[in-house]
Amino acid sequence: MQRPHLRRTSREHELSFAFPDTPAEAGKDILSRHLRLTSRFWKAFWVLLLLFGVGLLGLALRILGGFDDRAAWGYEAALFAYLLTTAQSAPLVSIAMRIVRNHWRRPLARLSEVFAVVGILNLLLFFPLLMTLPPQEGRKSMWFGWPGSPHIYDSLAIIFLVLCGLAILLFTSMPDMAVLREQASGRLKGIARRLSLGWVGSGREWKKLNLGLGYLGALYFILLIGVHALVSMDFAMSLVPGWIDSIFPAFHALSGLQSAVATIIFSMFLMRAIGGYREYFGLDQFWALSKLLLAFSLLWFYFWWSTFWVYWYGRAPSEVSVLKLIMFGPYAVPFFLSFGLNFVVPFGLMLWNVARRSIKWPTIAAASILVGTFFDRIRLYVSAFSVEDVTGHALESIPATHFPDLIDVLIYVGFFSGSILMYMVASKVVPIISMWEVKEWLRLRVVRTFLRTEVAVVAKPE
Amino acid sequence: MPNRRILGLFKEDEAAANAADALRTAGYTDENMEFLTGSPYPEGAFGEHVPAHKLYVFPLIGAVCGFGTALLITIGTQLGFPLVTGGKPILGIPPMMIIMYEGTMLAAIIFTVIGIIFESRLPRFGVGLYDPRIMEGYVGVLVNCAEERLSWVDTLMRQSGAEDVKVEEPLRR
Amino acid sequence: MQERTAIPDSKINSDLLRGLLGTPMWWWVAVIVLALIVGAGVASVAITFNMGLGLWEIHRPIMWGIMIVNFVFWIGISHAGVMISAILRLSYAEWRRPVTRAAEILTVFSLMIAMVHPLIHAGRPWRLAYWFLPYDFPRGIWPSIRSPAVWDPSAIFTYLTGSSLFVLIALIPDMAVARDRTTGWRHYLYSVASLGFRGTPRQWKLQTIAGILLSGLLLPVFVSVHSIVSWDFATMVSVGGWHATIFAPYFVIGAVLSGVSAVVTVMALMRWLFHWEDYIRPEHFDALGRLLIAIAMGWLFFFVLEFFVAIYTKEPAELALREMQLFQWPYNVLFTIFIFAALIIPVPIWVSRKMRRNITVMFITSILVNVGMWLERFIIIIPSLARKQDLTFVWSTYHPSIFEISIVAASFALVGLLLLLFSKVFPLMPLFEQKEGQRFAAQIRVGRRSIPGVVREE
Repeated sequence: MQRPHLRRTSREHELSFAFPDTPAEAGKDILSRHLRLTSRFWKAFWVLLLLFGVGLLGLALRILGGFDDRAAWGYEAALFAYLLTTAQSAPLVSIAMRIVRNHWRRPLARLSEVFAVVGILNLLLFFPLLMTLPPQEGRKSMWFGWPGSPHIYDSLAIIFLVLCGLAILLFTSMPDMAVLREQASGRLKGIARRLSLGWVGSGREWKKLNLGLGYLGALYFILLIGVHALVSMDFAMSLVPGWIDSIFPAFHALSGLQSAVATIIFSMFLMRAIGGYREYFGLDQFWALSKLLLAFSLLWFYFWWSTFWVYWYGRAPSEVSVLKLIMFGPYAVPFFLSFGLNFVVPFGLMLWNVARRSIKWPTIAAASILVGTFFDRIRLYVSAFSVEDVTGHALESIPATHFPDLIDVLIYVGFFSGSILMYMVASKVVPIISMWEVKEWLRLRVVRTFLRTEVAVVAKPE
Repeated sequence: MPNRRILGLFKEDEAAANAADALRTAGYTDENMEFLTGSPYPEGAFGEHVPAHKLYVFPLIGAVCGFGTALLITIGTQLGFPLVTGGKPILGIPPMMIIMYEGTMLAAIIFTVIGIIFESRLPRFGVGLYDPRIMEGYVGVLVNCAEERLSWVDTLMRQSGAEDVKVEEPLRR
Repeated sequence: MQERTAIPDSKINSDLLRGLLGTPMWWWVAVIVLALIVGAGVASVAITFNMGLGLWEIHRPIMWGIMIVNFVFWIGISHAGVMISAILRLSYAEWRRPVTRAAEILTVFSLMIAMVHPLIHAGRPWRLAYWFLPYDFPRGIWPSIRSPAVWDPSAIFTYLTGSSLFVLIALIPDMAVARDRTTGWRHYLYSVASLGFRGTPRQWKLQTIAGILLSGLLLPVFVSVHSIVSWDFATMVSVGGWHATIFAPYFVIGAVLSGVSAVVTVMALMRWLFHWEDYIRPEHFDALGRLLIAIAMGWLFFFVLEFFVAIYTKEPAELALREMQLFQWPYNVLFTIFIFAALIIPVPIWVSRKMRRNITVMFITSILVNVGMWLERFIIIIPSLARKQDLTFVWSTYHPSIFEISIVAASFALVGLLLLLFSKVFPLMPLFEQKEGQRFAAQIRVGRRSIPGVVREE
């Protein structure tokens, strides 16, 4: 059907999928791609493993250096916050879209949920960081000196977050593991049998699955926002005397949402380019997520502005010192980079519908956000960790810029490699495209002629 | 021979689409056919092709105008009555940004509305050849044809299932 | 989810134009009663302008009383329109169809009423011309764009203009229907109002795009309006209870909660008064209820954060203020009513699907939410002023005067009155949206089951 008046930058659109459009064939296609292991995969695996080892070595060296010099741990805190903001927030895209019940999320659901495995890696960073926190006497703390705080409660929160994410991944992949249990061979067959938890696909099981995913999703959402609030307050705000910023936990969480969408867009692009799943991540997915990216970039600015504006306008001395520390003083360069990359670039790009409705431009905006968040976490956490005297009413003096050393670089390289490695391995155990959700989609969707044009009819069983 | 306009009223949208097909086969194009409906149909439902609109130009122009005006107002008022309040600089950018943002959005919205009305080819003085039944659910197929072809088009429409056919009165000289 | 019977276009026209084409008795009774209340409010305003603001007996440090509470409240309600109609348009939600017009005009009217409050509160409103008009009056004083009182008019004016234009554009097709169904002077008026709309594909396409584009433009404006109103408070360093960075999104999400609840109230009234059972169905209240749960949870997050970080400061003045808000008469009672009415009672009720589909229950909970949110603004504004400084000899209490109370009551009556008058001239539900919804409903067979679906063009 000729529809010349609709400008397309890519051939894929909702009325015709690029992948097989019957449930059985789509399932076969996804399975065959999943079982394919190229030599490129193995090369990447060994390189990443080696780099991860180097990163672990760096972490060990840092731990051997002791926990007294908090400033030395600043970059590790920033890295931990960065992985929390990007990888651990990524499952939220799938969860939120499942709550809203739209259909375009289906190909990217599993892609988003697999990011939960990176949480395990983040725990390795988290526990040493806890050791660097100063005692609560003389300074503000959200725990008000409760026994065991913040170590016990923060640990519980983040462990529960990781477990919840893994549980979501486990349950959502049960039906696909059942397929692998039957169709795969070798070690994968054994793993699939265990991970499928005896799934047979009865009506009752499906119902329980949907209900369970709903509850777990809501729990993950609450836990994630909570962990963002805890981390931002315990590891940044309460380490800087005079920093009283009620919106900061919300800013941190929102930055997580923005980075989550950016992570997914970028991962979709990589899956298309080098992952071998080009047909499954089409224009509709990029278009829909780019609209979210526009909204979140605006919100990033809005939440940042709330802090800046109230401090700038009131000019209370303690607040002006905080502005100098985290925005316009020793960390002005990462701040302006972050402002430009988290707001100016994505907003400027995603404002235009032509850009939103493409593959290339949302990917560029997403990459910009991922780099911007990197600098944003540095300016927030390295600055907070570099404050010497955490007691007192206000910042007496602004500490100088703390630059990374070799160990920091090793840890960064190692942990980024480790995150990618864990994701890659997980994506070869659990299919990265959710077979059962895509099959459900194909069943609920019909293309019909309407008078002289074609439309898609999308069923809404709820 | 001057052109005249003829309107066919169809109760069923399928019949209207059939009439449109027949008219296209006879050589009439989107330029001399128009479809009048009481509610939106999916684009291309009658085989028509709506050309791209340039609506996006309007909010852009509006935004630029609003931004410039608000910039002038904020700079002008602050220089006209320079009063240091709370230690804030005279030409401080953050407070200027609030008024400039509102001015930009106001002008963008106003220009967008103007653009929507303009791109819809409104306002139109009088509805021309029209029938109130269109808003009750009928589909109107409006054809601009030569005077000698009027009866042929009339017959074609009735054969396709038109309930009623109206012809525009010729202009009195 | 989409339960509907097929309704022919002409019946849709008759049903939804019922208000324009006939006037039932209840309409007259309601208008007269509301007009009387509004009259009492107007009388209070006139007396105040004549005799001065001292009549209200507001005094330092509580210079802002329930008039400002009411101002913030109505700004809050005005967020109904854009939230519902913009967000639901942008996400192509089918269930927006009956709701959009009511939400949008509620926005326009509540904004108009909100705008009047600071004007009355000035006591000598004619002098405000010097304050915010950028005109070189002989005194040589220009507006100070650093003043929150200058940001407010600019933001509210932008939002009011934008919302009004949005409503007017969306009204054009309905004006065409009204044009075709009336005669005489009304036909002439509707002909002018419809601008000659005929229903060509181009015009319909632009209507859809108009909805989406204007929604997209109005969304940032709507966020900015209530943020600017919140910065009336947050930028005040001298009032400890107000000086928090979270006020902007906190107020905005509180406004969204207020506004969406107000839309539920208006929709229930529309269904009952105009007998629109075929158009405003339990599924719409179900969807609104679920949206309200999400909004209420978001609001709770910001509320807890605001309160918590205030306590986190461990500053004696701040702690004393919070203690007063929670435990001292009369604020303790008001706080309890607020938290129960706005959150603890409605949200668990909304969790139950059966309750969400019960229109009376939704009506009552929506009113409760707004009672609670009005009190929330009271709890933010008055106690913070009562304990503004550490000097106990300027501490005071607040008693609203009869004038303020009558003006507040008149504001509610005026919104109702304006809605009723509007319903006589314009349809309260968009006709073409209903017709489009009928066309886009479809069924899909999967196995032995027929599932309702919705048509997507691309």
